[in-house]
Amino acid sequence: MTPLALNRATGNPLDIGRIAFIVLLFCTASLLAGCFGSKTYPNTLDKNLHVHTVTDSGSWFSRVRAAVDIHRVGEDCALVYEGTVQLADPKTDIGIPPHRWSYLVFVFGSSSFFANRSGTITYETLLKARPNYHFEVAVRYRNDMYHVGIRENLPNQSTGREIEPLELSACQSVTGRK
Amino acid sequence: MNRYHVFIMFLSVLALSGCISHPQTAEEFRKAVPAAFSAKVETFEVDRPFRQVARTFQKMGPNCLAKTIKTTSQTNMSYQVIVTTYKPTVVVTGKKAELHVQQHHEQGVLNVSKEPDGGYYILVADAQPVTQTKTRIDLYRPSMSNGVLIQAVKNWATGENIGCPDLTK
Repeated sequence: MTPLALNRATGNPLDIGRIAFIVLLFCTASLLAGCFGSKTYPNTLDKNLHVHTVTDSGSWFSRVRAAVDIHRVGEDCALVYEGTVQLADPKTDIGIPPHRWSYLVFVFGSSSFFANRSGTITYETLLKARPNYHFEVAVRYRNDMYHVGIRENLPNQSTGREIEPLELSACQSVTGRK
Repeated sequence: MNRYHVFIMFLSVLALSGCISHPQTAEEFRKAVPAAFSAKVETFEVDRPFRQVARTFQKMGPNCLAKTIKTTSQTNMSYQVIVTTYKPTVVVTGKKAELHVQQHHEQGVLNVSKEPDGGYYILVADAQPVTQTKTRIDLYRPSMSNGVLIQAVKNWATGENIGCPDLTK
């Protein structure tokens, strides 16, 4: 009989502890994967959202992460979360579906190592992509200030128009949904 | 129980008995700030027309400050979650633009005095024209906290480095 089999047979506390550890590990992984509600955006569509990101926490002892949550605006203006794109690179290309409204939530998460303090702040807007049009998005976080600027460019042109943020509460009036 | 706890209890009792009251309107806040221990009035002029300053307040105030913020802090012995909702109000007339900022704690902070609708006032900025190209700013603001918010409002007035403050700081 092997020691492990002996443990099983006798219900050795060492073995129970091991099982508890594995269960705990599994629960933690499940929580991180599912219950926190964050999933990667599939990003399979033609890229029409070009995000230029600059983040600088201004301190060695703190960190800032930027990401964008993408929601589909469904019937009755209900949101359907489609996934998150981490804006870890200076330029990130994202494809959002044309012809329909999306709701973008730019998330800045900051954390301080020594103070064990963290918080998130968001910039949110409704956005409707038109076929062949592109959006240039400037995402900036510096010196505890953030800025998100969205410019819609005409096809094959670099000039365009600034897009003002549109609150979710304006959904029914802009989309004509009830 | 140390002296700090006694002092906090004393303040709490005073507040509960009505001896400490918070301003219930922006006007009361303006009057209370000069005499307050942890707030001050700051006045400066910016080289920017009044209309531009007013427009920036109107645009940036709601965009940046109508937010609900969640912060967590943790030590070996405690775990604290604070949820705070900010409410900006911008009032513009021909000769004055006002930005009021209120703060309401949804979770994690116990209020011991009467809170106005929308939350306690934490900042009021008044902009008034001086000349065609200059605007005077009176900033009624905390002296020991909300530094990022104060800097953002100053930037909106000067027109330099305009952005939204990270209200978690």
